[in-house]
Amino acid sequence: MRKITRRDALRASIGACLIAPWSLSHLTVGKAAGLTDTKIVLGMSAAFSGPSRGLGIELYRGATAYFTHVNRTSGVNGRQIVLKTYDDGYQPNQSVENTVKLMLQDQVFALFGYVGTPTVTRVLPMLKKFQDEKMFLFFPFTGAQPQRQPPYGDFAFNLRASYRQETGGLVDNFVSIGRRRIAVFYQADAYGRSGWAGVRRALGQYGERIVGEATYRRGTKFTESMQRQVDILKAVKPEAIICIGAYAACAAFLRDAVNLGLRVPIANLSFVGSENLLKLIIEGQDDSRRYTDLLVNSQVVPSYEDVSNPGVREYRDLIQRYNPQPPRELIKEAYTPFSHSFASLEGFFNAKLMVEILQRLDNKPERGKLKSAVLSIKDFDLGVGEPVSFSLNRRQGLNRVYYTVVDEGRFVTLADWKGRFS
Amino acid sequence: MKIQRLFQKTLFGIFLLFGVIGVSTSVLCIYTVDTQLSEEYETNSKGIAKTIADASVDIILNRELSALQSLIDQFVEIQSISYIYITSDSGEFLAHTFVPGIPVEIMESDWRSTATVQRSLPGMGDYVEVGNPILAGIAGTVHIGMDTGLIALKIQRAIGQQIYLISTIFVFGVIAAIWLVNLAAKPVERLLAYAVEVARDEGTAPDAELLVRDDEAGQVARLFQYVAGVSDIPKPGHSLPDTHA
Repeated sequence: MRKITRRDALRASIGACLIAPWSLSHLTVGKAAGLTDTKIVLGMSAAFSGPSRGLGIELYRGATAYFTHVNRTSGVNGRQIVLKTYDDGYQPNQSVENTVKLMLQDQVFALFGYVGTPTVTRVLPMLKKFQDEKMFLFFPFTGAQPQRQPPYGDFAFNLRASYRQETGGLVDNFVSIGRRRIAVFYQADAYGRSGWAGVRRALGQYGERIVGEATYRRGTKFTESMQRQVDILKAVKPEAIICIGAYAACAAFLRDAVNLGLRVPIANLSFVGSENLLKLIIEGQDDSRRYTDLLVNSQVVPSYEDVSNPGVREYRDLIQRYNPQPPRELIKEAYTPFSHSFASLEGFFNAKLMVEILQRLDNKPERGKLKSAVLSIKDFDLGVGEPVSFSLNRRQGLNRVYYTVVDEGRFVTLADWKGRFS
Repeated sequence: MKIQRLFQKTLFGIFLLFGVIGVSTSVLCIYTVDTQLSEEYETNSKGIAKTIADASVDIILNRELSALQSLIDQFVEIQSISYIYITSDSGEFLAHTFVPGIPVEIMESDWRSTATVQRSLPGMGDYVEVGNPILAGIAGTVHIGMDTGLIALKIQRAIGQQIYLISTIFVFGVIAAIWLVNLAAKPVERLLAYAVEVARDEGTAPDAELLVRDDEAGQVARLFQYVAGVSDIPKPGHSLPDTHA
C-alpha cells in the first residue's frame, strides 16, 4: 500500500473544503426535501421526557389524531403526512440539536408543533440562518413574543393566542374584581420572563406594578418544596398570583401555598398543562377542593367539554377513534394519556390548520409556496368558534382566551369571576 | 542507610535549600496564580457583561424581555458565572437568573454602580460582582456575579498541581542527593577503615580499588601507604597531595 504523504493529505483537505459547502447546500436545498410523491414529512421537537413530558405527549396525540384521519382518508393531495419526532426534554440545547437533525438529516418539509418558549427562542435564529431554504415553524406550543415579532416573526406562524393576551386577560379580570395587588410565580427562563413581561405590561395600564415575584428552575418536580417561594410571595400580601410555569412546579407551588395558608386566587397560563396539574394536585388528597377552589387557568382553546363547538366534537370523535399513542422509542418514563386535554385539543387544531395549508399547495408543493398558502387563509372556519386569518402583519390565527376553573374534579369554563373570587 | 557525619551537613544543606526553594516557589506560585486567575475571571466577566450590554440595547428598545432572558440564560451556563441581572434606568429588574427570588442585598444595592464589588448573599455564597452600563447607562445596567468559592477552588487546584510538581521534584532530588552522597561516602569509609588499620600498625595492604582512584580518596590512601612504609614510591603518574591546594 502506498504511503500517504503530507502532500496527499493537503490535497485531500483542500478537496474536502471545496466539496463541503456544496454537500451542505445539497442537503438543505435538496429537490425532495421532506417531500416525495407519497409523503410530506413534518418535523417536531418536543418534551417527551422529563417533568414536562405531558405537554409534548398530549400535543402530539392531538395532532396525530387528525393526521391519522387525513392519512386514512385521502391524504393531502394523495400524500401521507409523516410527523418525524424527536425528544428535547424541554431543554433548549437539545431542541437546537434536534432541529439540525430535522433540517439537515431528515430534510423535513416544515417544522411543526414545537413545545416551549426557551426551546423555540433558541431555534428561531436557525430559521433565519436558513431563510433561503424557506424553512418555517408552524404553530409552536408557546405564546411568547419572539416568534410573533421582528426579527424572527417572519419565520414562524402561530395559531394560539399569545401569553401577552393570556396574562392581559387575567390581569383585566383580577382588577375588575378589585384584586390589584398581583404577584408572579414564574419559571426562571424565557418562558417565565415572557409571562412576567405580559403581567407587568397589563398592570402598567392600570398604573400598578407587580407586587412581588418568586422563581423556580425549569425541570423542578412536584415532589420538591416550594416553601421558600411561597414565603417570598406571602410577605408581599398579594391579592392574586399569576403562575407562569409547567404543571409539575405549578402544582407544587399550589400545594405549598394552600398548605402554608396563602389563600388567594392562583392563576396559570395555558402552557401549564391543566389536566396534568390537576392530576398531581388531587391525587391522594382527601380534600382536593381545598387546593382547587381558588385555581383559575387561562386556555387558548375552548373547553373539550363544550360539545356545542363542531371542532370540539370532531376532536372528541377522532381522538377516541384513533387513540394515538406517543412514539414508543421516545417514551422513557411511564405516562398515561388523558382521554381529552387542552393540549391535545390544541394539537388537533394545529394539525387541522396545517393540513388546510398543505392542501392549498396543490399537487406541486414547495417550501417556497408555504408562505403564500398561509397568507391565503382568510376567515377560515377551523370549528373553534373563531375565524382564522393570516396576513403579512398578522402571524397568529386565533386571539381568544378562555378561563377555566375546577368543578367536581374537572375544568369548566369560568362564567362569573366576581362570584368565584370575591 | 547510614550517612557519614561528614556529609550530614551537606545533606541537611540540600534539604534546607530544597525547602527554601519549594516554599518560596509555592508562595510565589500561590500569589501569582491567585492574582492572575482572579484578574482573568474578573476581566472575562467584564467582557461578558459588555457583550450582554451591547446585545441588550436592541432587545430592551425594540423587543420583548423574554429575548433578553434567553440571552442571559445562555451566558449563565458558563462555569463560574453564578448570576446575571439586568436593571432598567429606573432600577427595575428586567431580567435575572435568581431562584427562588432576587436577594434583598441586591434589591437594596445601587443598580447604577458598575464597580467591582464583593457580595455575600445569605444562603447562596460569596461572589464578586462586575457591572457594565447599557447604552452609557441610559438603557440600564448589566451585573454579573462570579462565585468566589468556585474561583477559589480552581485556584486551589492550580496551586495544588504546582505544589505536586515541586514536591515530586523535591522527593526525587532528595533520593538523588542521598544516592550521590552515599556514592561519595563509600571511598571515605574505606579510607577510614584503612587509616584505622594503619594507626593500629596492623600493616595490612590498602584496598587496591582505593589506591587506583585518581581523586582525593586515592591520593590520601596512597599517602597513608607511604607514611606507613608499605610503599616507598607513590603510584606512577601520581604525586603527593598538595596540602596547599
